[in-house]
This record gives sequence, C-alpha cells and structure tokens, in this order.
Amino acid sequence: MDEDWGSPEFVKAQFRQWYARNSDTIPAPIDIAHREFAFLTFHGRTMYRHNRFPTLDKLRRYLRSNAPAHSYHSSGYYDDPAADMARKGWRGADLVFDIDADHFDLPCQMEHDRWWCRNCDNQGTGHHPEICECGKAQFETETWLCARCLQAAKHEAQKLLDILIQDFGVGTDELTTNFSGNRGYHVHVHSDGMIPLDQQARREIVDYIMAIGLEAEYQGFSQRNRGVRPTLAEGGWRGRTGRALYDYIQEVEPEEVKSMKLSRRATKSIIEDKEKVLNTLMKRHPSNVTSLIDPKSLQTVLEKAVKLQASEIDTVVTTDIHRLIRLPKTLHSKTGWQVQTIPYGSLPDYDPLTRATVITGDPVLLEFRWAPKIKINDVEYGPYEEEEAELPVGAALFFLCKKGARLKR
Amino acid sequence: MSEREAAKYPFLKAGLELLDGLDLQLDDLTDPNYGKALDRAAERVKEAIVQGVVSAKLADPLTELLSYPLAVMYVTLIGEQFLSRRFALAEAVRAYNLLQDEYEEKITRIAVDEFGWDIRRDPENIDGVPHTLKLAYPDYLRAASSFHEAKWKLVNRKMENGLVCLTGVEAARLLQVGVEQWVRERVSTPSSFTLPEPLQKRLDDVKKVFEENRVRLSGSQLPDEVINEAFPPCMRYCLEGLLAGKRASHMERFGLTSFLVNVGMPIDDMVQLYTSVTDFDESLTRYQIEHIAGLKGHRTKYTPPTCSTLRTHGICRNMDSICETVSHPLGYYRKKVRRLERQREQQEAEPSNTTAQQ
Repeated sequence: MDEDWGSPEFVKAQFRQWYARNSDTIPAPIDIAHREFAFLTFHGRTMYRHNRFPTLDKLRRYLRSNAPAHSYHSSGYYDDPAADMARKGWRGADLVFDIDADHFDLPCQMEHDRWWCRNCDNQGTGHHPEICECGKAQFETETWLCARCLQAAKHEAQKLLDILIQDFGVGTDELTTNFSGNRGYHVHVHSDGMIPLDQQARREIVDYIMAIGLEAEYQGFSQRNRGVRPTLAEGGWRGRTGRALYDYIQEVEPEEVKSMKLSRRATKSIIEDKEKVLNTLMKRHPSNVTSLIDPKSLQTVLEKAVKLQASEIDTVVTTDIHRLIRLPKTLHSKTGWQVQTIPYGSLPDYDPLTRATVITGDPVLLEFRWAPKIKINDVEYGPYEEEEAELPVGAALFFLCKKGARLKR
Repeated sequence: MSEREAAKYPFLKAGLELLDGLDLQLDDLTDPNYGKALDRAAERVKEAIVQGVVSAKLADPLTELLSYPLAVMYVTLIGEQFLSRRFALAEAVRAYNLLQDEYEEKITRIAVDEFGWDIRRDPENIDGVPHTLKLAYPDYLRAASSFHEAKWKLVNRKMENGLVCLTGVEAARLLQVGVEQWVRERVSTPSSFTLPEPLQKRLDDVKKVFEENRVRLSGSQLPDEVINEAFPPCMRYCLEGLLAGKRASHMERFGLTSFLVNVGMPIDDMVQLYTSVTDFDESLTRYQIEHIAGLKGHRTKYTPPTCSTLRTHGICRNMDSICETVSHPLGYYRKKVRRLERQREQQEAEPSNTTAQQ
C-alpha cells in the first residue's frame, strides 16, 4: 500500500527523535506557572488546551513524551491556567505580534501558491479569488514559501521593531523576536506597561503601528499649523510621515499619480514640480506643502505613502488578550522547521532557510507529486513534478510536511 | 491641604482622610446642622441627572466636601447602572472644569499622587502650540482610547520613547476620564439599607427627579422588526459577501452575527441564512449564534464591535454621511431607522397635499 502524502508517521517519528534529544533546550516562557499551554497532535484536529506546567521540567517531559505537531503558550497570564476560559482569572498579557507573508500580496506567490475550487474544475496560482466563477467560495489551497516572501516578512518585522523601540520606548531586553517556523515572524513584548492593557488600548497600538487613522493635519500638514522647521528628522509618526511622503513623491510614477484622482494642482505639483515639493519637505515646515498640494489630495497621497513605513501585522492576534502563540524553539509540523529566537540586532543577518532546519540524518528517497523550487541550506531543490529524488532528511521533511511528497518504499 | 482643595476634588486622598477623621454615622446626620450638606448632596445627584454636570459650590467648602460621599450613597441606594454612569461622568466634568483653571504643576501633582500616572514637565513646541507635558503611553491609552476624535488617536500624537506630548488642558481632559473611572467604581455596586427620615425624604426627592428624566435620557428603542435598508455599509457588505458564499473572517462573522442579534433577527432566520449559503454545520452554527445572543455559555449578549474596532480589522468600508456622525454600527442603524421613518411620514403627507391642491 502507498504511503499517505506527507508520510505523517515518518515525520512524527522524526519529531519524536528530535524531542527525545533536544527537549532540554526548550526555554521556559516568562512566568511559566501562570501560562496556558496548548498542543496539536499529528492525528486528529483537536487542540489539547488548558494545560499548565508549574515547572519547566514538567513542560520538557511533556514535549519528550508527546512530541506534538504544534506547540503553543498563551500570551496571557492566569490565576489558574488549567481552568476553562471563564474561570481562568486573567492577570494580564504580553503584547504579541504576528507577521505572516501569507497576508501579503507578493509576486512570488504566483510561483509557489496554488488553489483549486472544490465545486468546479477552476484552479489557479497565488491567492484564490473571493468567489469562484461557479459562484461558490470553497477552495483547497497549497501555500509554499521562498526566500523572497521570507525576506518580505523580515522587512515588516524590522519596521515593527523600530517602531516599538523608538516610539514606544520598549527596551531590547523586553523584546523577543521569533521566526514562526513557517512564513513569518512573531514578536513578543514583555513590558510592565503593556501587560495590563485591555483590548481597546491594544487596538490603538495596532492602529499606531499600521498607521490606521493617521491624519495629515496632526503630522504638521495643515495651513492652521505654524512652525519653521521641517519635520523629517523628528521622532514618531511626525518624522516618519514626512520621510514617507518624501520617499513616495521621489519615486512615484506619473501614471500612478494620475490614477489617484487628485486635484489638478496637486497632480501637477507632484509630477512637474517634484523638486519644489521635495525641497519644501526638506527645508521648511510641512504646513508649507499645503500650498502645493491641497489638503484632500495630500491625505490621499499620505495614506499610500505611510503604508510603506507602517508594519503589516495581523490585527486580530495583537488585539486578542487570550492569544495562543507558538512556543519558541519547538518544531512546526507544516515545515519540519524550528521556531527560532533571534537575538536582538541579528535579524538582518538571520536566514531561516539556512538556520531553521534542525533535524538532520541520512538521505531518504521521496516520490513527489508537485513542489516549487526552494533553496534549503544553500542547496537548491526542485521544482519537482511527479518524480523521485533522494534528499537529506532535513530538506525531505520540508517537502513531506508541505504534503508535496511521500516516502518511496 | 485646605478644606477648599478637598471640596474641589473629593477624590484626593487627603480629603478622604479628612472625612474619615470626622467619623460620622448615619444617625449623626439627622442633626439639623448637617441639613445643608444633605441638601447639597441631593442637589449634586439632581444636577447630574438634569444637566449632566455637577456644579462647584466652593463658598462653603465643608458642606461641599461632606455632600460628595452622601451623593454617592444616594446613587448606590437608587442602584441604577444608568444613573451611576451619568453621575460619574457629571462629577468628572465638574473636576475637569476646575482643573482647567489650575496651574500645570497642580495638574501633574494630582495625576502622579492620586492616579499614579507617569507624567512629567518637558516642554516642546508642536506646530506653534506649546506642549508642556509628557505622559507615558499606557496611562495615555487607558484614558484616551475611548475618545473618538482623530486628534486623540495615538497615531496622531507626537510620541517618542514611550512618552506622549500633551498640553496642560489635554492633561486635564485625560484626568477627567481618570476621575470618571474612580467615581464609577464607587457608585457601581448598588446598596440597600434603611435611612433615617431626613435622609430618606431627600432620597425620595432625587428618585422622583430621576424617574421624570429617565425616558428623556435613556434614548430611543430599536424597532421590533429588522429594517434591512437601515444597515450600515459595513454590515451590508458583510451580509452581501455571505450571501455570495464568500469566506468571511472570524471578525466579519462575529460582527455581522452580533449586529443581527442586536437588531432583533430571529435566531432561526439566522441559522437558515448561514446554512443556506455555506457548508456550515447546522447545529454548530446554531450553537455559535446562540452563544453570541447570550443564550448559551456565560449568558452575556454580545454587542457588535465599535466603528473603530471594525476599522482596525479592515471591515469598515463605503462610509457614508451617517457614518461620519456615529461611532457604533447600532448607532448608525438607530439613526437611519429614524431617518427612514421621517421620509415615510413625509411621503405619506405629500400625496394628500397634492390632492388638496388639485
């Protein structure tokens, strides 16, 4: 009998072996005794929730004997983490951020992501449409990844870190940056000021980081404002807005400006008097820009420009005060990779494609159905289509976990 | 601290200690000497009910100071959440009006000593306006995240290193929220005990004023039947998406479901709606809807997310002129229903006019 696609039994055995040797390297989340832990197994879809581990030793023992497919801990702290939600007794929560390349629109997704309609024969690459031509909205999807989308996620993570540190004054010792084990990054903030914040306050933080509701007037761009100095060097969004506008106007193509339906004067200023606008931004207070670009047009341009400086985070994750988030240094069974903690300052040089493959072993023979090209540990694999290939275990696990192949017996 | 200070700001620790020191019992208050304080206490509550703001009568500071805890007692004895909220706000506005006239130093001292805020003097000129204070963002958010004006959004403030720039008046406005929360905590638990005659007489008087104003203040009810044309654009979008079989995000489903529950759509109709267009399991769908409607689980009926929450999660769209004036999808619905009713009344009135002209 043929193996199931993905050979889950083999993957599970590899995870088990890894945890047997390495569970002692899993660190304790801060205040472990007041956190909830949750796990998914390789079989079945039920999440095992409401676990509590009073000591790190007990957590490690659990990982060793269960070798979960996915491991999570709560962002929240509870009086009784093992109780059901209503009786847990919420004490506060870390502020957590999720950056997932899955949520971005990237050209590389057309190469490695695919979808099929469950109702008709329709299929395609990249993100599936909201509704299929057949009128239904039921899709099967296959999402892979590559160096480019990982890079895009890293870029967003770096912008997030900059905002947290510069604007919110978060200390680098209060921050943990993790590679999620798949297509993104998680940032945990453990700071006394953040922990008690309610959902509403966290929503304001999300709006801040994504520049939602940012208005030109409050960044200095209003005729009512008075001032002599330019704002480009200022901290916070005031400076960032000025720089965003400068960069955007410098690089924008005339076609894009025309497509924004700005006033005629604003369109002319940006396309023909570009240097004058840039000069004003560089040398004078932003209120002077309003004589070149009217306030309504300016707001439209700003909204586009600031998105490039804002960080594309998952809004639901950060506003949820009971969130479950991946346990650092554990394994992710959709890739076979490790959730890795990246020391502050090392993010620019971090490359999950050479670092996150922690399971190693003898080569195995795989039978592929389909897999896009990817470079793991500096070796290029694929693309594969209905063929066999022998791969080192680390790389093989990735294709198995993505269900693009199975063991060839 | 002077009695006058304590009379201005009854939440000051020193004032509370002053009151404690008097060690007054209920029966002591029947003494005619306290008549003025009892009257002023009743007046404070009545001012809150009728005007929405309590006045400051500082000519007789001891009476003003004493009247505050008595007013709190009246409010808890009436035991209506609606009154508690209104009283807390009215007392907070009173404090705000007084704080605006204080020196900045006093404002910061109250913020630090009484509310434990991390606030400091550090002047900065922003667009020609002197911002003399800086407040740590957690304290800022606790107070300002309920405001709807754009200028209070954190993204529209100058913030560096976790400190938000503020003017003195803005700090006073934020303190108002602190005072409101402080008062509300003290009036939100209803109490029940027998009052001596002179106090009971005044309580009855306050109750009468409350009853007279209750309907005027509590706002209009939603109509019994669901008026589809009155849905706000965001909910209409979610509903149309659902009808087309689009896979909705958790937030969209929760927003739409809680909205439909609150405008009174029968649960059976909702189950039918959801299961007809998707492959949702009927019993699971019913369970989830009943949970949101407060019939299952913790028995709390969920209200839909506010406009700002919908905006954060990318669900706010196609804003129209009514959207500009409301902060909640149910507020939109209520307003649009009234507008539609007026239009209908006009249309009904017009044909008879034309007949008369003919």
